[in-house]
Amino acid sequence: MPNAKMTDATPRLRRHLLRATLGLAGGLALALSGGLALADPAKVLIPANPGGGWDGAGRQTMAAMNQAKIFTDGVNFTNKGGAAGTIGLAEFVRTAKGDDNALLVTGVIMVAGIITNKTPVSLNDTTPLVRLTNEYNAIAVPADSPIKTPQDFIAALKADPGALSVGGGSAGGADHVMLAMLAKHAGAPVNKINFVAFSGGEILAALGGGKIKAAISGASEFRQFAQSGRIRIIAVSGPTRLEGLDVPTLKEAGIPVEIGNWRGFVGAPGMSEAGKKAWLDRFAKLHTSDAWKATLKNQGWEDAYLSGPEFLAFLKSEETNWAQALREVGIVQ
Amino acid sequence: MMDTLTQLIAGFAIALQPINLFWALVGCALGTAVGVLPGIGPALTIALLMPVTAQVAPESAFIMFAGILYGALYGGSTTSILLNTPGESGSVMTALEGNRMARTGRGAAALATAAIGSFVAGTFGTLALTFLAPAIAELAFIFGPEDYFALMILSFTSVAVVMGTSRVRGFTALFFGLALGTIGIDTQTGQSRMVFGTLELLDGISFTVVLVALFAVGETLYVASRNAQVHAVLNPLSGGVWMTREDWKRSWKPWLRGTLIGFPIGSLPAGGTEIPTFLSYTLERRLSPHPEQFGEGAIEGVAGPEAANNAAAAGILVPLLTLGLPSTATAAVLLAAFQNYGLQPGPLLFATNPGLLWGLIASLYIGNVILLVLNLPLVGIWVRLLLIPRPYIYAGIVVFALVGVWGLSTSWMDIALMVGLGLIGYMARVYDFPIAPALIGLILGPQAEIQLRRALAVSQNDWSVLVSTPISATLLAIAALVLVLPLLLRRLRRAERRIEQEAAAK
Amino acid sequence: MPPIDEARVGAAPPRPWWIGLAVLAMGLVWIYGATSIQSTTAFVGMGPEVMVAAVGAGLVVLGVLLLVQIRQGVTFRPQEEENADADAPPSRRAFLFSLAGVALPLATIRWLGFPLTAAIGFTLVTHAFGSHRTLFDLAVGAALGVGAWFMFSKLGIDLGPFLPLIR
Repeated sequence: MPNAKMTDATPRLRRHLLRATLGLAGGLALALSGGLALADPAKVLIPANPGGGWDGAGRQTMAAMNQAKIFTDGVNFTNKGGAAGTIGLAEFVRTAKGDDNALLVTGVIMVAGIITNKTPVSLNDTTPLVRLTNEYNAIAVPADSPIKTPQDFIAALKADPGALSVGGGSAGGADHVMLAMLAKHAGAPVNKINFVAFSGGEILAALGGGKIKAAISGASEFRQFAQSGRIRIIAVSGPTRLEGLDVPTLKEAGIPVEIGNWRGFVGAPGMSEAGKKAWLDRFAKLHTSDAWKATLKNQGWEDAYLSGPEFLAFLKSEETNWAQALREVGIVQ
Repeated sequence: MMDTLTQLIAGFAIALQPINLFWALVGCALGTAVGVLPGIGPALTIALLMPVTAQVAPESAFIMFAGILYGALYGGSTTSILLNTPGESGSVMTALEGNRMARTGRGAAALATAAIGSFVAGTFGTLALTFLAPAIAELAFIFGPEDYFALMILSFTSVAVVMGTSRVRGFTALFFGLALGTIGIDTQTGQSRMVFGTLELLDGISFTVVLVALFAVGETLYVASRNAQVHAVLNPLSGGVWMTREDWKRSWKPWLRGTLIGFPIGSLPAGGTEIPTFLSYTLERRLSPHPEQFGEGAIEGVAGPEAANNAAAAGILVPLLTLGLPSTATAAVLLAAFQNYGLQPGPLLFATNPGLLWGLIASLYIGNVILLVLNLPLVGIWVRLLLIPRPYIYAGIVVFALVGVWGLSTSWMDIALMVGLGLIGYMARVYDFPIAPALIGLILGPQAEIQLRRALAVSQNDWSVLVSTPISATLLAIAALVLVLPLLLRRLRRAERRIEQEAAAK
Repeated sequence: MPPIDEARVGAAPPRPWWIGLAVLAMGLVWIYGATSIQSTTAFVGMGPEVMVAAVGAGLVVLGVLLLVQIRQGVTFRPQEEENADADAPPSRRAFLFSLAGVALPLATIRWLGFPLTAAIGFTLVTHAFGSHRTLFDLAVGAALGVGAWFMFSKLGIDLGPFLPLIR
């Protein structure tokens, strides 16, 4: 009789359940005492897939903040990639309203993306906080590529823009615009360029495996792969060469294209004044901390700290500049 | 090879220190707990525990994180099998056969084969990670967009064909999922698609909402409306507390096959843990000598996918440790943890910090043993969950469904979607449409589209690129075979029968 | 025991024409939707509208196939479930109660908050499954809701304010 067996099992079951519950509670309590019992964790939305520039910017910054003991309540990261970060922005605007602990990683790519994509939400819907870093773009090619110099790249672009598949962040973002500017300089039709959008670290595998002919992205993303000999960086887009990287700037090569990729943070739509002030203070403290200086050095980021009203003004000017640039290269009509 | 062995032994010396064993235990317990809970995965848990890294040695922290990573997979199978509500996308396939088994009193065997399969796959996966990682990492560079696309097409066709009673219904479910997947901003061009003018749909329909709605809500509505008033008392242990000899015989091959599928796919940058489970399920169903038992609780259908997702989890560590490439959210969190200690995973790390890496790898072996020891005795306890009176089980499922959906982003729209899709899940049960293909369409559809578009961009709109590599051509050929073979077989069988009948008539 | 519901459907095998039509209609909506997506010429390769149109076309084909199958008399029998007697006529009352439990948050979660909503929803579902201990069920549901709220809030998962009414 199954029933008899079951009544028999019931007291044992209680004991087991009790034991299991106690064990579980013990484990959880242990972990909680490890540092998570503390108040509200921050919720950081990263509008890109794991492994790319924004991912690093979000996680590294919060890690430095934790190291410098500025914010130690834990961080809850969400990755939501695609479309120059505008998908993440849409989610952020929709879900984070009024949450003083919700942050979104942002940057120039998103500013451009909002314009190109005519996204119905914009950074005006958020609470801009700070610009933290700037990073110049780099052009990289697979290690065995015949393209060795910036001039080679321009020549290839001129010869047949369609045949030169170039990977980068989302379409309409800074990487795409840089390629369009290079094409314009080369005298190649901008509507023929072959830009392949990636989000996150996949671009490195595609470039290393020779699936695409070249890639444009932040220099820090390429660096480690270049060191291991999988890819070669052929040019950087800044005004000067990068420390420890023997690669010419585009300017040196006579190509007047300079694109910087700044990154920063915005807060939730309708963040309270107190919440805004708390985060601005934290970022100000972070900016002067040693942990942050070490992070900047490790990642090859340039310090570009700009906070509060100055950042707001900067955002406005970026919006107008980019709208104009995108029209000029023909990405936006 | 010898070198690897000495390094590994040194790693074990680190991982076996009492303090590290303790952290491994905490990680495994926490991982199992979060795997059981819907809506919380290993990525979130590790991220929340990140502050711990400020206080403990890197070895200890990573050993705990590894325990969470594997533990979540062990725990995830439990809710799939017992309650038919998978907590994560990797355990969707486990629910199909596992829950059937639980309903016929064989839940303990299902949980056991899942736990042992996870152990076998986790161990072999870790072995492969130990000895083959650099070679496997090369796969990342070999796989191009067209190969990923072919892999996803294979997943689509195989799942739509084997699931459910008819191919038309399987594909209808698949296309329903694909359709849901197109909603939201297009990742390539940033245009909004099928959002019907709503801001809420811009970022797409969340996978969690669809999972919870189709499984938990649809199930509750269906069972409630057809609740037999005479309750047949179900004894969850009528099939015994342990796997029978027959179960073992039917399980070991699926475990190994699942491992073989899971590890390489998991190690691809766009591989993930889901595809291997879909493919493993299809394969087991094709190879089984009892295909008629599939859908009625075939143990192979639990053993294979569970092994596959654990092996894939080991695979995920390959590109992370050897190339510094994170391929999932969990891997990204682990990468951040490395960087918290000022370490950059990649080829150099094996040279600069072997103690930490080998300690981590050794702890993966130990974590697997701990999880097996933790989980097997608990199997009997978990199964007794089914003794809770049904009104309370289902009401509890509804409450946890609400936690999962409301906790996502406290959005009213998500709840509305949950109710609407829950009704569709109910209809699917009433008219016998399979549910898993819809979820697969939703998860893989957008990825397949991206890979297709990348492939076409690189080839400048030359469609022949899709069969241009040996990998893509082979995978697509298999997909076509999966689609056509059952038709051919049925025709053959019919013809055979006719001949037999004619022979008999003579 | 509830009285036998008049709404119970007879045991004739269902021929759900409307499912085929619904799938067909969904396909048409997707195809129509695809036409309103701009095909951008600036990018080489496939535009954003192709996938949407392809999925729509697939749904149209499948809708037609379903209609053909239904016409040919293919039956659509409910799936077998534990204790759920697939052949038994469905109870509309139980269905509506459980649906109410699931849909309740739409109306209440904003102003009653998660714990209370969970408690009432819990009770509605237990009721649908034939439990009549309303007060006891409310208490269990409340305990579960409050417990879940505290635990998940601790883990950083926002379940809204505890009791929005008094905040």
